[in-house]
Amino acid sequence: MFNQLLLNSLIVASVYTLVAVSFAIIYSTTRFFHFAHAAVLTAGAYFAYLFHILFGLPLVISIGLAVIFSALLGSLMELCIYRPLRKTNASAMVLLLVSLGIYIVLQNMISMIFGDDTKSIRTGDVVEGINILGARITPIQIFIICSGILLVILVTVFLKRTKTGKAMRAVANDPELADISGINSSRVFLRTFALGSALAGVAGILVALDVDMTPTMGMNALLMGVVAVIIGGAGSIPGVALGALLLALAQNFGVWKISSQWQDTIAFVILLIFLLFRPEGFLGRKVKKATI
Amino acid sequence: MEYFLHILILIGIYTILSISLNLLAGYTGILSVAHAAFYGVGAYVAALMALKLHTPFPLNLFLAIGAATLFGAVVGIPSLRIKDDYFVIATFAFQIITFSLLNNLVSFTGGPMGLPGIPQPVIFGFTVSGHIPFLILTFIFCVLTFWIANRIVASPFGRVLKAIREDEVFAQACGKDVSAYKVTIFMIGAGLAAIAGVLYATYISFIDPTSFTVMESIFIISIVIIGGAGNLWGSVVGAAVLVTLPELLRFVGLPNSVAANIRQILYGGLLVAFMLWRPRGFIGEYAFGRGNKAEGSRQKAA
Repeated sequence: MFNQLLLNSLIVASVYTLVAVSFAIIYSTTRFFHFAHAAVLTAGAYFAYLFHILFGLPLVISIGLAVIFSALLGSLMELCIYRPLRKTNASAMVLLLVSLGIYIVLQNMISMIFGDDTKSIRTGDVVEGINILGARITPIQIFIICSGILLVILVTVFLKRTKTGKAMRAVANDPELADISGINSSRVFLRTFALGSALAGVAGILVALDVDMTPTMGMNALLMGVVAVIIGGAGSIPGVALGALLLALAQNFGVWKISSQWQDTIAFVILLIFLLFRPEGFLGRKVKKATI
Repeated sequence: MEYFLHILILIGIYTILSISLNLLAGYTGILSVAHAAFYGVGAYVAALMALKLHTPFPLNLFLAIGAATLFGAVVGIPSLRIKDDYFVIATFAFQIITFSLLNNLVSFTGGPMGLPGIPQPVIFGFTVSGHIPFLILTFIFCVLTFWIANRIVASPFGRVLKAIREDEVFAQACGKDVSAYKVTIFMIGAGLAAIAGVLYATYISFIDPTSFTVMESIFIISIVIIGGAGNLWGSVVGAAVLVTLPELLRFVGLPNSVAANIRQILYGGLLVAFMLWRPRGFIGEYAFGRGNKAEGSRQKAA
């Protein structure tokens, strides 16, 4: 039982980490809560469903296309909505509100097109899990854990080593200084959105591979990602991963003692505790308290 | 005709909700997504009192307002210590926790099954039943809410709220206890939202947690923004427009299965459109989150 819960936590944590990292990239660079990220995540899963099940393309190609389309969707939001808004001197709160509006529109469009019922991209037979130390894990779940960890490592390397990655971190660190140094921040924002949205698309597909998809899956996943970001500290990828792991452990082991419908409550109580007592998270530095 | 009256009653209920949120978002500049939680607390307290203890309507109303105001303090005192987007996330968390309490404490709140059979309000021996008497009751409470809000806004207290909205640090520098003002108005807003909850519960006579979700909170925010933040008449106009518009679509012959989706797409889209092209809303006097020059220049200087 203990090992199984530990394993479940690991699966959940790798998905949360991916969602959290994809959100944190956008948040730390553009400095607003991009709630429509949830819609991108859902769209990723539904694009995969569209290409794989409805068009009958092979799974690998469908996933590739779905990730590209997710990246396009996120970039479109930045180009058509956020960028014009920034030009009108809109605050981060306005962008947050607008992102909620976009989320509502997209989520309802998805549920109108595909219906509210559960859709699946798993076509193969149900395979019995492999036994590891008394815990069961399916090949798909192993794939989820591996790809989650791999992507997070790749993103870390990307941010540290490549020119675009460095530019993103520069804008995140000090937008004005980045501007003075000749970094085109609009272009960096657009690339950030493309990268974050592509990762969100992958996260959506991974969630769908594990537990299928519904139109509201994105918001559930994103909220958990946000909780992981806040307890880990935005701007630190190891912190975010640690936050995701802590959240997953708390949720899975919490269910051991109390029934599973309280999982959300557990997550948000943890979030509130961190917001109130340690808003900078485990490893973060940025304190966002009233500056008076 | 009954349908028409039904729409008017709903407009009244949403007017109360949006006025109470306007005090926070429009006048003080604090954007809370927990408003549906206070609306829900009001509805549930009144419904439970009426169903379990058979107490009279005025007492239920009074207790519902009291409970929501207290709950406003519970949410507001810790959350208002943090700023901007983190504040929004904190209220988000409270909203979701409230929903899951309503949904999961089955023995107490009925859980997803809701609370059916909430009795009609009896005021001074007169039972309010049927559409017209209920419309009158809603109208009375609308006027009352508007009057209270108007008194608050026009008072010196209200001027301090606007000062906080425009420049928090400056208000603080003038010797105003900014956090006390914020918590007070947060509690007042929560209490007023409870009135709408009580009206809704007694009007529909059935409540379940799905009426008090984050989406409902965002809907109320949309009313405030689209009607016009910082203007009480804006909230009236906003409620009228946003409640009526989806109903008009029904006449176009949209099937019911997509009506709920279309309704949400409509207000989500309007929220985005207004923010892009008319941030002041229909008749607002405060463009939400724009052109706070003092703050901007200070940040540049820092």
